Amino acid sequence: MQRMFMRRVGLALLLMLAATALTFWLVTAAPGNVAALIAERAAGSGADGEMIARIADDLGLNDPLPVRYARWLGDALTGDFGVSLRTGKPMAEEFAERIPMTLALLVGGGILALVISLAMGIAGAASNGGVVDRVLHGLALVGASTPNFFVAALLVIVFSVWLGVLPSFGVSGLTSWLLPWVTIALFPASVLARVVRVNLQDTMSRPFATTGFAKGLTRRAVLFREALPNIAIPYMTTFGAQFTLMIIGAIVVERVFGLNGVGAFFIEAIRFRDFIGMQATLTLFVVFFVSVNLTVDLLAMLADPRLRRPRKA
Amino acid sequence: MKNWPWAILAPATIFVLIGIFSPWLMTHNPAAQDYAALLEGPSWSHWLGTDYLGRDMFSRIIGGARTSLVAMVFVLVAALAIGVVIGSFAGYVGGKTELVLISMIDIALALPSLVIALALMGVFSGANFDWMSDYWKMIVALTLAWWANYARMSRAVVVAELQQPYIEAARVMGASHIWIFTRHILPHVLGLVVVYASADAGALVLAIATLSFLGLGVAPPTPEWGQMLVDGMSYIEENTALVIIPGLALTAVVVSFNLLGEAFALQKVPRAVRGRFLARKKAARAAEETARNEVEA
Repeated sequence: MQRMFMRRVGLALLLMLAATALTFWLVTAAPGNVAALIAERAAGSGADGEMIARIADDLGLNDPLPVRYARWLGDALTGDFGVSLRTGKPMAEEFAERIPMTLALLVGGGILALVISLAMGIAGAASNGGVVDRVLHGLALVGASTPNFFVAALLVIVFSVWLGVLPSFGVSGLTSWLLPWVTIALFPASVLARVVRVNLQDTMSRPFATTGFAKGLTRRAVLFREALPNIAIPYMTTFGAQFTLMIIGAIVVERVFGLNGVGAFFIEAIRFRDFIGMQATLTLFVVFFVSVNLTVDLLAMLADPRLRRPRKA
Repeated sequence: MKNWPWAILAPATIFVLIGIFSPWLMTHNPAAQDYAALLEGPSWSHWLGTDYLGRDMFSRIIGGARTSLVAMVFVLVAALAIGVVIGSFAGYVGGKTELVLISMIDIALALPSLVIALALMGVFSGANFDWMSDYWKMIVALTLAWWANYARMSRAVVVAELQQPYIEAARVMGASHIWIFTRHILPHVLGLVVVYASADAGALVLAIATLSFLGLGVAPPTPEWGQMLVDGMSYIEENTALVIIPGLALTAVVVSFNLLGEAFALQKVPRAVRGRFLARKKAARAAEETARNEVEA
């Protein structure tokens, strides 16, 4: 079991390495001349060939790509992600300011999605085929199909423009988090509600559930005591996947609600061709994405002994 | 609905038809500005009102359908082709080639597709890519971000199918690799992947709109829903219709594709649609042939 764990962790680390190498190659090779860009930012149109050459030399841009990647990786491992071309601040500083914002968004949204999806899924399964079930099914479908920026716009229209009860921009206390959290949670909640609903229905028709009914347990007891624990693994897997996809939600939500998080920084970096900022943010995303997936896999292995056995060829 | 499973295809078909025939459906030029009619409500001349530049909302929505449809079709076809080729090649060949290709797929899946597409849009903004228009940059970026899912799926189907006894039988009978692959394996791969793509179309329409919403997709004069929505956000106090109309259009399209996907996933339709579709084509062809024979006779 420990070997399987170690293997999985090793694979995740390899994946991070490969993915950052690929993004490094793409992001640094593509813009053409980073040195020219920097010179242009520094000196405006006064940048001449000599200055560009000096900057390229200073930054070691003339070295072969593997050397540059190795140097970048060495720096990154010590927490040095370079200096943002757009803001002129070290990326470590940018991250220190912005990660808490994005994390608050993701965690709040994640908790909300968890609560809503469980409530919707269980309510749907409890009314199996009834009106509640159908209405919830419809809601989940619409929730999973509405673009998150439209959700944000609608919430702003209703709560900020019409009712004027919640702020539509920036951060000021807990109330300003409500709209961003609801926006980011709606999509994962809808998808997860379907997962809960479908898996509960499936488990309720398994032999052990029938045994429960035969023992004289009520429907509710079978649902909560027998069926619910059994959907933990599919739920956890999908939750992990949805949680990582919330990065996209964060990018959109931070932009709409004017939150200074990592997602907003990423978009600005793309627009201003801040390739150092882009590489640093992408690295952060890769680490987040891969480690959430890893955690989910390891938890699933802990929970289900069948997954621990090495697969037969 | 139960009596007529085809109904599930209707909403998506309507979107496709609107996209195809949009030039004939538009009542105005979607880019024509009219400063005498800014931010107007619905009227006989402007069915859905006008936006902040006096452009006809109805025509812009119809035009936006085509923008999304064309981009979506290009990306789906290209991503599907790349994914099926790489994935099924990996699955069929096996060994070290498979390992290399799988690692490639895994790396491409190490980030959400939309994040990859965004990053690529950033990369493409460099001077070396000026030869591509923004529209094509978006299509290429989305394709490069989208193929890996199809590759992974194709590989899984090929690996599963190769273990079937009939493949071994074919091999024993002396069938070549190309024969086995094209006659026996590829149809299975395409069957599954195309069904998945029909549901994926909704996600892709969303991705296209999201890129434009973030200002990294379709460039302004072209009507596009995500971009209309973000433009409308500035006028949210004066006229909410500028935000709500494109948002509803977008949601309706995504719902219709997701309905389709769900129906496929629950196997409510696939055989009926595919089987009957093919059968009809065959029947039509047969009828055509007999008609021709009769004329000749």
